[in-house]
Amino acid sequence: MERIGRAWNSDFVWSFRHSPVAVVSLALVLVLVLSAVFAPLIAPYDPFDPASLNLMNGFSKPMEPNTFTGDVFWLGTDDQGRDVFSTILYGMRISLFVGFTAVLFALILGVSLGLIAGYVGGWTETAIMRVADVQLTFPAILVAMLIFGIAKGITPVHMRDEMAIWVLIIAIGLSDWVQFARVVRGATLVEKNKEYVQAAKLIGRKPGAIMLRHILPNVLSPVLVIATISLALAIIAEATLSFLGVGAPPTQPSLGTLICIGQGYLFSGEWWIILYPSITLLALALSVNLLGDWLRDTLNPKLR
Amino acid sequence: MLAYSIRRVVQSIVVLLVVGLVAFSMFRFVGDPIDNMLGQERTDADIERLRGELGLDRPFVVQYGRFLTNAATGNLGVSYRQGRPVASILMERAPATLELAAVSGLFAIVLGVALGVFTAIRRNGIAANLIMTISLVGVSLPTFLIGILLIYLFAVELGWLPSFGRGDTVKLGGWSTGFLTSSGLKALILPSITLGLYQMTLIMRLVRSEMLEVLRAEYIRFARARGLRERAINFHHALKNTLVPVITVTGLQLGSIIAFAIITETVFQWPGVGLLFINAIQFVDIPVMAAYLMLISVMFVGINLIVDLLYFAIDPRLRVDRTVTEG
Amino acid sequence: MTVRKSMLLALGLVLSCGVAQANTFKWASNTDPQTMDPHAVNSAPVLGFLNNVYEGLVRRNQTMVVEGALAESWEPLGDKGWRFNLRKGVKFHDGSDFNSEDVLFSYQRASSEAADTASWFAPVSEVKVVDDYTIDFMTKVANPLFPSSIANFMIMDKGWTEGNGAALPSKDKENHATLNANGTAAFQLAERQPGLKTVLTPYGGWWGKTEHNITRAEFTPIQNSATAVAALLSGNVDMVNPAPIQDAARLKQSGGVKVIEGIEARVIMLGFPHQADSLKFGTDAGKPNPFKDVRVRKAVAHAVNVDAILQTIMRGNAQPASQLVSPAMSGYSSANADRPAFDVAGSKALLSEAGYADGFSFGLKCPNDRYLNDEAVCQAVVSMLAQIGVKAELDAMPVRTYWPELRKDAYDMYLLGWSPGTFDAEHPIRFLAHTPNAEKKLGSWNFGDFSNSRIDEMLAPIQSEIDPAKRQAMLDEAAKILQDQVAYVPLYVQPLVWGARDNIELTQRPDNFFILRWVTVK
Repeated sequence: MERIGRAWNSDFVWSFRHSPVAVVSLALVLVLVLSAVFAPLIAPYDPFDPASLNLMNGFSKPMEPNTFTGDVFWLGTDDQGRDVFSTILYGMRISLFVGFTAVLFALILGVSLGLIAGYVGGWTETAIMRVADVQLTFPAILVAMLIFGIAKGITPVHMRDEMAIWVLIIAIGLSDWVQFARVVRGATLVEKNKEYVQAAKLIGRKPGAIMLRHILPNVLSPVLVIATISLALAIIAEATLSFLGVGAPPTQPSLGTLICIGQGYLFSGEWWIILYPSITLLALALSVNLLGDWLRDTLNPKLR
Repeated sequence: MLAYSIRRVVQSIVVLLVVGLVAFSMFRFVGDPIDNMLGQERTDADIERLRGELGLDRPFVVQYGRFLTNAATGNLGVSYRQGRPVASILMERAPATLELAAVSGLFAIVLGVALGVFTAIRRNGIAANLIMTISLVGVSLPTFLIGILLIYLFAVELGWLPSFGRGDTVKLGGWSTGFLTSSGLKALILPSITLGLYQMTLIMRLVRSEMLEVLRAEYIRFARARGLRERAINFHHALKNTLVPVITVTGLQLGSIIAFAIITETVFQWPGVGLLFINAIQFVDIPVMAAYLMLISVMFVGINLIVDLLYFAIDPRLRVDRTVTEG
Repeated sequence: MTVRKSMLLALGLVLSCGVAQANTFKWASNTDPQTMDPHAVNSAPVLGFLNNVYEGLVRRNQTMVVEGALAESWEPLGDKGWRFNLRKGVKFHDGSDFNSEDVLFSYQRASSEAADTASWFAPVSEVKVVDDYTIDFMTKVANPLFPSSIANFMIMDKGWTEGNGAALPSKDKENHATLNANGTAAFQLAERQPGLKTVLTPYGGWWGKTEHNITRAEFTPIQNSATAVAALLSGNVDMVNPAPIQDAARLKQSGGVKVIEGIEARVIMLGFPHQADSLKFGTDAGKPNPFKDVRVRKAVAHAVNVDAILQTIMRGNAQPASQLVSPAMSGYSSANADRPAFDVAGSKALLSEAGYADGFSFGLKCPNDRYLNDEAVCQAVVSMLAQIGVKAELDAMPVRTYWPELRKDAYDMYLLGWSPGTFDAEHPIRFLAHTPNAEKKLGSWNFGDFSNSRIDEMLAPIQSEIDPAKRQAMLDEAAKILQDQVAYVPLYVQPLVWGARDNIELTQRPDNFFILRWVTVK
């Protein structure tokens, strides 16, 4: 209890409690994440089950009975007769899963390589940073297409839908790790010459322990900020990749795939197919970005 | 210094070679170019014959080797799709992308710095906070969606601006420019905003936080204490000191503007190298893909190299670090 | 010259321009013709575009009927071949005369190994120049369809082509004919910027009667269909081909724009592996191939609700298909015009009869950038098959990887569209129904290895039969066999939707060729 009280009054939480933007953003993120997680309980339909779809329900307007079947859908249906509301919930699951996992992948890869590069130096550092250069050269789209192609060649078909998701994760993660690595390397270079690290070295601590115990905690706040911003970017990147045809499979659309489908109906009058998923994506990315913004301002002591 | 520079240049060349090798090892996974090159009435024999002619039946290392030896003599190969030398296709398309990148870069810098300064000075003002929030909306939507929405609003509904393409261009030597005609300038507006929006937000935020930091620095407080006018402090002292990191970041961003022009160019049918690349993927035009990737690599690696060398020249601490870590 | 005088002069110039109305016509399509060489690539975007610049011996009119172009008339030489009597006084755009030497040269060029159009001349044994304006195409066997099969065989000027070092078409090198053109048709190439802009201007010396009033025509490729629609709505272009089918209704309502709809020659169908022993995909991979059983193929045919697909995905713009060609093609079998009815119960009964009462799982391959809304159609097929307990795992991919997969037989069912280049029912029999035979170049798109000895034996007689009634009887029989065997499940005929500004009058041909000389700007 005392602990909670202390945490409640800590600088960090105090600053949070007194920032309405941060509170609202976090609330919005939580609502969206929870509704994605519990989509099967909330959603009125299962849009990923082809047997449940009736093509004649296609293009139903929001809140209006379908001309052929008389069914009513809150936010209308898409071209396959999928309920847009349910698809948004299920699609958000995929978008969030891809976003989180990709950032986690990028974070682990980037932070470890950055630490190693900064701490070990020499040829290791050169090699890692040059690989980072190579990575920067390849647009995420191309990485995705290439990985997609390779994966297609080696996975059995019944796993391809799942595979498409992992391809997205790897592609987005791969195009994202470099900035983690750069920041961590820079911070490591600074930290490693500080006295406490030198002291740790002198008493014979192993490099791995020094990196994890002493250097890592000191570079965590920029990493956290980058991770938050990256999450928003990853969710958007997933949508962009869908636009270029390497996104989530059409039978299991993500938020991005849904926007891409909707994009084709922007001029034909079926505005709801693009509008609602776009609003959801905007709400998600914007609140994550605002949180990241607040984190950056709070964790940067120079600005306080 | 010289030794470091040479080592760095050699590394860059190795990076370029690796990029090429990786690219070539992966091209066959993009698809098969043959079907796009032959008509409906082709036979299997035609397919095999053409595959042989193009050298596609060879291992990728051999294909890469041939590409490199040709590239060394300035021959980038012939596009499978257009049947024309890739070098001349790239030369035709490069001005469009470079002009678009330049205008969006300019847009991003001018507006980014201006808004950054404003939001820093009025840190707690309503307008500043509004700008900060709205700018996040711009980076919370995918580029293609922003582009389509801009087209819908300004081209279709309002009819103010063209919906696609470059407008009329004027040839100046080998360079086709859209800067000299009114339709060319109009055509630049929407794609530049679409492409530059992200960078604009980035620069604005960077300028803001750098400004905030500098404004708290001792000498600014001192200047204020001396009774210098706010305006002079803000622009003469504070902004000047924030520009160094801004320029560095902007330099690095210029490369990504060109690389990520792909999406903007697709949405606006902007006839630059990005659109060319997307087309090349669609038709598995390996020579064009290879040349484009090498071009982008050269650019990125080049910018990285320059930035590193500059840092090395400017910041003596880094030199000490190097000698410590490598010595 | 005084200022006033020069102003008057300028005014006069402006006025005179106003009298001779300048009609610039701008149009857009999703594919750029990748070459200006009429023999280098046998693809619809290239041939369709070049029909405005080059001409063949014969051409098709607004209703696809073959009429004379560079040949005024033609007659059969018994069953040995065809004689073409060439038009006199025709000049190429560069002013040189057209004669039979140009035809012979173009034949040699278009039938060379370097050309992509060589297959058109497979039936030809020899070409003989009789005199300057008469030329004979000798065929190996009687070939009643030959003249209509070469409507896209375009004639180049021998002197111009050879003189510019383009005697042979080239795929892997640029030659003069890649970027330049010298035809005889109503328009000449004024500017060519590949992938960007191609400008045509009317050819004053054209032999035919001018029906259009265009003074300049600009073509731009626009890939993203939303961008193309935006360009049309905002008046940046005067015509788009294709207009997205879903936008047709909305375009019709918005002022200033109209929609031109028709039926294309392309039939969309489902294909099966007829010879494969086992399924390759899905959870039943490795188990025996159910599609070898005609009852299972029939069940699929009855399970697909084509009307629903046409109603929603195609927005009521397409027609169901009963056979491999559309009713607009010659040789269409009216006797077999009925397609399998949508019947879930009957479909399930057929499945249990075949021993698949509990259904099975398999892989459906589908392109996602080849045909109109192809991926959406495949998704719909997946959910319709799910209703009869058959679980299809959809694998949609761009066409650049699709054909290689089909060639490798990596599918359990696939989607295919077929547009007969000759506009005749013989064409799909040759390419899709005949047992694959690489040597004779038959069945080259019959991925599923459908094989029926009666079909195989009828192809040659169909090709050479001169009596229309006898020929139609054979085509009817072939259509019946293909239906009974469910070699394919024809779904629908792909619709053709173009959008244009209201002030544009044009003709839409079922082969999706856009012919500029039928365009008027009001």
